Amino acid sequence: MTLKLPHPGSLVAFAILGLVAGGFIALATFDGGTPTLLSIGPYLWRVLAFSVIQATLSTVLSLALGIGLALALARRSFPGRDIVLAILGSTMVMPTIVAVFAVFAVYGRSGWLAEGLALLGWNGSFSIFGYPGILIAHVFLNGPFVARITLDGLNQVPAEHWRLATAFGFTPFQIFRHLDWPVLRAETPGVAGLIFLMCFKSFAIVLALGGGPSRSILEVAIFEALKIDLDFGRVAWLALIQLAICLSMTALLHWAFTRPPVGHTIRSLVHRPDAKTKALKLLDAVVLALSALFIAPLTFSILTGFRSMLDVIDADLLQAFVTSLAIATAAAILACLLALALASAARRRRIVLRSPRIAAFYDLLPDALLAVPPFALTAGLFLLIQRLGDPSTAGLILLPLINGLAAVPFAYRYVAPHLLTAEERYGRVAASLGITGWSKLTIMDWPVLKRPLAAGFALAMALSFGDFGIIALFGGTELVTLPYLLYERLGAYRLDEAASIGLVIVLFAVFLAHASGRLSHAGD
Amino acid sequence: MLRRLLLTLVSLGLATSLAQAQSKPTLTVYTYSSFAGKYGPGKPVKERFEATCGCELNWVTAEDAGSLLGRLRLEGENTKADAVVGLDMNLVAEARALNLFAPHGVDERDLTLPIKWNDNTFIPFDWGYYAFVYDANKLANPPKSLKELVDNPNGPKVVLQDPRTSAPGLGLLLWMQKVYGDKAGEAWGKLKPRIVTFTKGWSEAYGLFLKGEADMVMSYTTSPAYHIVAEKKDNYKAAAFTEGHYLHVELAAMTRTTKQPDLAKRFMAFVLSEPFQSAIPETNWMYPAKNPPSGTPDALKGMIEPSQALLFTPEEVQQNRRTFTDAWLNATAR
Repeated sequence: MTLKLPHPGSLVAFAILGLVAGGFIALATFDGGTPTLLSIGPYLWRVLAFSVIQATLSTVLSLALGIGLALALARRSFPGRDIVLAILGSTMVMPTIVAVFAVFAVYGRSGWLAEGLALLGWNGSFSIFGYPGILIAHVFLNGPFVARITLDGLNQVPAEHWRLATAFGFTPFQIFRHLDWPVLRAETPGVAGLIFLMCFKSFAIVLALGGGPSRSILEVAIFEALKIDLDFGRVAWLALIQLAICLSMTALLHWAFTRPPVGHTIRSLVHRPDAKTKALKLLDAVVLALSALFIAPLTFSILTGFRSMLDVIDADLLQAFVTSLAIATAAAILACLLALALASAARRRRIVLRSPRIAAFYDLLPDALLAVPPFALTAGLFLLIQRLGDPSTAGLILLPLINGLAAVPFAYRYVAPHLLTAEERYGRVAASLGITGWSKLTIMDWPVLKRPLAAGFALAMALSFGDFGIIALFGGTELVTLPYLLYERLGAYRLDEAASIGLVIVLFAVFLAHASGRLSHAGD
Repeated sequence: MLRRLLLTLVSLGLATSLAQAQSKPTLTVYTYSSFAGKYGPGKPVKERFEATCGCELNWVTAEDAGSLLGRLRLEGENTKADAVVGLDMNLVAEARALNLFAPHGVDERDLTLPIKWNDNTFIPFDWGYYAFVYDANKLANPPKSLKELVDNPNGPKVVLQDPRTSAPGLGLLLWMQKVYGDKAGEAWGKLKPRIVTFTKGWSEAYGLFLKGEADMVMSYTTSPAYHIVAEKKDNYKAAAFTEGHYLHVELAAMTRTTKQPDLAKRFMAFVLSEPFQSAIPETNWMYPAKNPPSGTPDALKGMIEPSQALLFTPEEVQQNRRTFTDAWLNATAR
């Protein structure tokens, strides 16, 4: 007789749901009473409407830039392409304040653009506050990420397909229709969901660039309830509203687009036949030039951080670097393990048990982790941990845990499609040979999985490396990370040093993105 | 790579537990991050207190005063804090309601605050006035009063902080309320076209100002001292307003739950002593709560001296914050 253990993915799903629910309940019942539900008044409606609109616009524009750029990059190669890709992979993880200052350095009242226009004899003035500023910042942070992840997807198109396309003499339109479009359809909804969630919550950017409280988002209200009113019941309630909106949005995206099956293949780098088309050459040149015009100045403005680099290199910086590295590593390991467990449960449901609805639930769960306001989740989990043990260790547990949880949806994006690919390619063979469990993972999945997993690991690490969110509440002299150090220097008037620390964070993210790019582009 | 990381982690863990195993008592003090940071008063204060107490002072930090209070509320009676340095006047009512703080028993006479201080739980350790800071090279004629700033449609552009997320932001909200009373909403409406933005915190706003996004920034009367002393630049000035300036007082307190009340009390007394107070001016860029006999510290001489200190009591702040904020929202969020 054998005892049938539940699938590790189900355990993980239950654990995550338990943690989130536990956190919410701990918050909502903090004062021993019923939570103080507040009515959604006109102000909150306006905030909600603005949150949704700015997040939607940011997402659409990020997708437009990212997809256009990815298609152009897929068709073209040029010297320094690797570095460009690494930079694209790293903008998203930079601390928001670095991005905000970059936007001002370029588009501000005394920014490069204004100075350039003044040199040309134009003496009007312009203001980027409001939608322009918010959208520029969000597209700068997220557009390159879309490009990077879409390009990875485009590179997955099997070599046989390309050979067939060449043999049939596909027109560029047919290539797009039959080779690129299926990839875009498969990749875009998930990425769009992630970007929407990130923009929905990015309140430091919205406040700095929005130009006033008419441009206020829900996360501000949550922050206010948590840090000023100390009304934890309201925190839980607002967090639930946010969760509901974000999840409906991502669910809609998942429902509207379904992933097509993949073919059997060994991938290898191909030269796309459409690269020679003149019209596309022109189009790609325009897209690449415009993207460079948009991304390069913002990126270069961050390099001004080099000026004070020598002032910031000291024992504090080194220790913060090690601390950040340790937390990011732990968070990335956690994120990858959870993503792996969830993805394999989703795969089993989808292919073996043929219940796509439950599989879709597994696909949504990682997004839920991103939709929960980190402040609310942290506070809730802290209350839980405190009941179980020593609160002084809470930071040590919470930092990697929260950062890890927040990175799960990103790791999932890398892991899940490849696990499906492995099953579709080799699942039947493995089943007929009776390979299951651990051996299935090591023999069948690992070869397909190792590169995307490494890429997901690098991204999760970079995300955690640049995260400031919860360390605001649970940092401490024992847990000073680089973003924490950055804000500490800002608070002491040392803007230049803060810029240098920001640059260190961005450079490390570029390094991680470069490493993961090398891994995922190496031949099989 | 991974193994080396794990080793680092383990050794870090060991180091902390070894540090805790030392026989000296440890005083755990919560504060905000820039206080304990490289340029803050944290390092000299720690050295100077440890030289006399036969103990170890351990700073535990949160981002700002609001986060400190949030964290204390989450931890409740389980908190490891023996003392807290860095709350402010506008949070006192909420802090008191936590019922976590104990009387300090320190003599509060001879303070050099612009107001009378008499509180058996909270000790002021430094103070300053909120003020609009400008660059004299770019703005030749700054407004002479809050009313002039608000009324002049061609006046300077200002960058402010959101009163819902930032202490100076709340400071200006209260300042406007003091000057305009029930008419504060209208005044916000008049100022609105010249408000560049409300940032999340002081750092973003001050950064935007230094980068030239605005002509004036909401900060402190003592901000120019930083530029003079640390950067040798004297073009940044605070504008003196005839209505008076809103007061910002930073506070320390000891917890009721501390296991070492005597040591915590000694620290409270230390806060108002010369070694602590003399560390404040050139690290925190604020006025010490107790001047040395020689008067105002050199670094802060020459700062503007407001004619009147404006202040609501903590209870008034607690009762009215929501109403004030709503009026501000109605006026500015359209």
